[in-house]
Amino acid sequence: MNKVVRLAVMGALLAAAVPALSATPVTLTVASFPDLDRDIKVAIPLYKKIHPEVEIKLVSRERVDHVNAVTTQLASGTGLPDLVGLEIGFVGRFVASGGLEDLSKAPYNVGQYQSQVTGYSWAQAKGPNGDQYAIPVDIGPGTMFYRKDLMDKAGVSEADLNKSWESYLAAGKKVKAATGAYLVASPVDIKDIYIRSNLKNGEGIYFDKSGKVIVAGNPRFENAFKLAKEAQDAGIAGNIKQWTNDWAAGFQHDQIATQPIGAWLNGHLAHWLAPDEGGKWRATNLPQGAYASWGGSFYAIPAKSTHKTEAYEFLKFLTLNREQQLATFKEMDAFPSLKSAQDDPIMSEPLPYLGGQKAREMWREAAKHIPEIPINKNDGVAEDIINDQLDQVVHQNKDIKAALADAQADIERRARR
Amino acid sequence: MESVLSPAASVETRPRKKRIQAWKWAPYLFISPFLIIFCVFGIFPLVFSATLSFAQWDPAAGFGAIKWIHFDNYKFVLTDSWFWKSLGNTVYIAIASGLPQHLVAIPFAAFLSTVIRGRNAVLGAYFMPFITSSVAIALIFSSLFSKDFGAINAILMWLHNVPGIGIIFPDHKIDWLLDTSLVKPTVSFVVFWRYVGWNTVLYLAAMQTIPEDLYEAATLDGAGTFRKFWHITLPMIRPMMFFAVSLTLINNLQLFEEPFILLGDNGGIGQAGMTTAMYMYRTAFYFSDFGTACAISWVMFIVIAVLSYGNHKLFALAGGKEE
Amino acid sequence: MAMVNTRKTYARPIAWAIVLVGAVLMLAPFFFTFVLATQPRDRIYQIPPPMWFGTNLMKNIHTLTDMIPYWHNLGMSFYVAVMTTVLALFFCSMAGYAFAMYEFRFKKALFTIVLGSMLLPPFLGLIPTFMLMNFIGWLDQPRALYLPAAAAAFGIFLMRQYISSAVPKELMEAARIDGCGEFRIYWNVVLPLIGPALGTLGLITFISSWNSFLQPLVIMHSPESFTVPVALRSMQSPTNTDWGAVMAGSAIAVLPLLILFALFSRRLIAGLTAGAVKG
Repeated sequence: MNKVVRLAVMGALLAAAVPALSATPVTLTVASFPDLDRDIKVAIPLYKKIHPEVEIKLVSRERVDHVNAVTTQLASGTGLPDLVGLEIGFVGRFVASGGLEDLSKAPYNVGQYQSQVTGYSWAQAKGPNGDQYAIPVDIGPGTMFYRKDLMDKAGVSEADLNKSWESYLAAGKKVKAATGAYLVASPVDIKDIYIRSNLKNGEGIYFDKSGKVIVAGNPRFENAFKLAKEAQDAGIAGNIKQWTNDWAAGFQHDQIATQPIGAWLNGHLAHWLAPDEGGKWRATNLPQGAYASWGGSFYAIPAKSTHKTEAYEFLKFLTLNREQQLATFKEMDAFPSLKSAQDDPIMSEPLPYLGGQKAREMWREAAKHIPEIPINKNDGVAEDIINDQLDQVVHQNKDIKAALADAQADIERRARR
Repeated sequence: MESVLSPAASVETRPRKKRIQAWKWAPYLFISPFLIIFCVFGIFPLVFSATLSFAQWDPAAGFGAIKWIHFDNYKFVLTDSWFWKSLGNTVYIAIASGLPQHLVAIPFAAFLSTVIRGRNAVLGAYFMPFITSSVAIALIFSSLFSKDFGAINAILMWLHNVPGIGIIFPDHKIDWLLDTSLVKPTVSFVVFWRYVGWNTVLYLAAMQTIPEDLYEAATLDGAGTFRKFWHITLPMIRPMMFFAVSLTLINNLQLFEEPFILLGDNGGIGQAGMTTAMYMYRTAFYFSDFGTACAISWVMFIVIAVLSYGNHKLFALAGGKEE
Repeated sequence: MAMVNTRKTYARPIAWAIVLVGAVLMLAPFFFTFVLATQPRDRIYQIPPPMWFGTNLMKNIHTLTDMIPYWHNLGMSFYVAVMTTVLALFFCSMAGYAFAMYEFRFKKALFTIVLGSMLLPPFLGLIPTFMLMNFIGWLDQPRALYLPAAAAAFGIFLMRQYISSAVPKELMEAARIDGCGEFRIYWNVVLPLIGPALGTLGLITFISSWNSFLQPLVIMHSPESFTVPVALRSMQSPTNTDWGAVMAGSAIAVLPLLILFALFSRRLIAGLTAGAVKG
């Protein structure tokens, strides 16, 4: 299957290819990390067909190793790759650093392509002045996976799960009573969605437009903490961290009834997290009309790259070429950021793991509703502090208002630096 | 006893004459490789981090972004609740994992030095944690410590149901890595597990230097196993003890890898297992605050230096001589 | 040996029982490294995890060599570790010998520098070391890894402690009277006496070089010149790691260490030097 697709794509590319004239050979170094590096591995043979003069050298490091290596190179301004893959959690920092090429200026003028790409993710790579430092390559629309069989056993309907937060938690109590399964792996999962939904326009998660911390006294955080605490107290939230053996075991042993997360979890569930539970899972929208994004990846060109023109051509191929975007989607389930790729018939295929549900159509729709959330370079610090306070509220009964006031003070103290 | 120990003690008192010229320059020649390598590769990073501890700097922004802020980083660190929390965690784990390492390794090495058959196999087994890859350790311990599905809880539950001794075992499953009060003991256990064999190797090597006739003479004097251990083995391995304890002190106060692989980069729930080295790393590369990270490391430098000096004095006091 | 006491015949079986139970605890994760290397990834993420060998080893190795240039990485690790170990044994024993046996000006200050250089956490060195290596053009060069590691402070410290108790100063003076030069005393008299310490240092240096990943992470920048830990980590992501292949890589990488331990441990223990020490 895969080979057929690849051949077809290559054929299409060949037909469209302009014969490359007067091209001098050049080697582009691309620094990336797993799983995003598979995107480059897919692209190399395809790109070779249209740009045989370009040799692509992929240097892949572990996700955090990659960030540290690139940080080190940016710090000293030497040894930089020509193209850098960035995950959403790190893009804010690198955009703010000023070490990346501003693509909104000439000769790139990348703004002309903005309308072709999913809006919220395009905005995530904007600098404080509206300059564009990175281009999204895939997105992670949030969704809620749930176990249909467990819901049926507990007499819970899909509408109960996403009508409102109250009905979601009420459904969790029924599920717990009827099946013994947790509604959700961790109270943190509830908080994470809640603070990302109902954002006012232009407001970030922890910081407003002007960089002011907006945590203390903010009903968005108060309710998020209240719901998380309520779920914990009712015994319907587990204490299970994502990507641990316990998490996988929780899925395999029917211990986790719902999982709000990025749509890409489907592939992981089906391939290795819980391959034997196929057909039992479904996906639905998040509670109370919430739309959130989990993950997403970007490419950027370091300002000190030595092959910017060639790197930019390759970047456009990765992010704006429909065939490449679809090839990557088929290879690794990374939801395309390019709108035209989202209209491919593959998006209407039923998903066997989800009992034949045509969930991708729902996710495509969800992606349109995800708000543009401005990113602050201190989001990582703020998230740490909020999680620390949530632990104290959930496990040590700290007062929510006091916890948020402490969080506010702590974030302000660190962010000012 | 006194008479058998005298050869070692007399070394220091021997008079020395400055007759041969080579004595004077030979030691410098012998340490010159270290000095050259240290000057080329060691000094610059030291000066760099010391300088940057007085600056505010996001490394990804390059050198243009350095802002000098005097002692602000140090003020921040010394008034930072996370720093003190991490220091508390570090000292807790350092003691809880370090002390047992030596209390077990010394008698164990003494025992092994009396064994002839099977010694290498046993020593090899205890040394294996030291060479087992950290990836394997992370995978295996996280499944051993798993609350609902882990082997350790399964064994405890089984023991609880054994009549008679069951009462001393818990009646509920324990959340080893997610219960804030258990995170530090659990990490300490893994650190102990990983390094006890390495310390045993050090002590065993040191015990090889003890002349056998010391023991023979003591046996003739009618000394028992314990007295020989106390009066011959322990004093004779004191230099190695000083080395091993210093190394444990330094490494434990810079502890990073074990909590990192067991708990993740934020040190687990409530940061209960976040060591100072982890906090420093996170500050530098996740919070993009290199200056503060440098300040943390220099504060830690002082803490470790003071404790190492105290350790040195303690050994000197116990031995009546400089180590 | 002399410490064996015939009175307490019951003590030894008990001691052995404790030692053997401990040995099982020590070996378990090591054993599972090999078990997991033979399992497919979805089995590894099950609880309880597999307890015995599977049939997936060749497939895991295939995946491994498909994803990373593993044999290159192994060769690079080996070259760097051997060079580091050989140089460290030489440099550290010389320096340790000087600090243990000689009196000279600045001795205390120099030794304080040695100790002090152990006290700074390694992460902070990343950026300046990278700059330095770039400045002298050593990026992506193995020597950028083994030369700085060859004069490890802790090795000097270990050697000093060991030599000060294993080598009597009378021996040096006797050798001088016999007309030995200073280097010949070190080479012909001292080195043969410190076998166990050389064994210990060789072992630890090789292992820490073999497992080190911070320096190679930033200094090496082609996948072929990555050392094994960096390469194996480059296959890992929180969301999608072929743990079977990673464990196969870890298991193969631990084999040289096993062989090394078998070789060095004999030296470490059999190096009974009592005859010379008695003097």
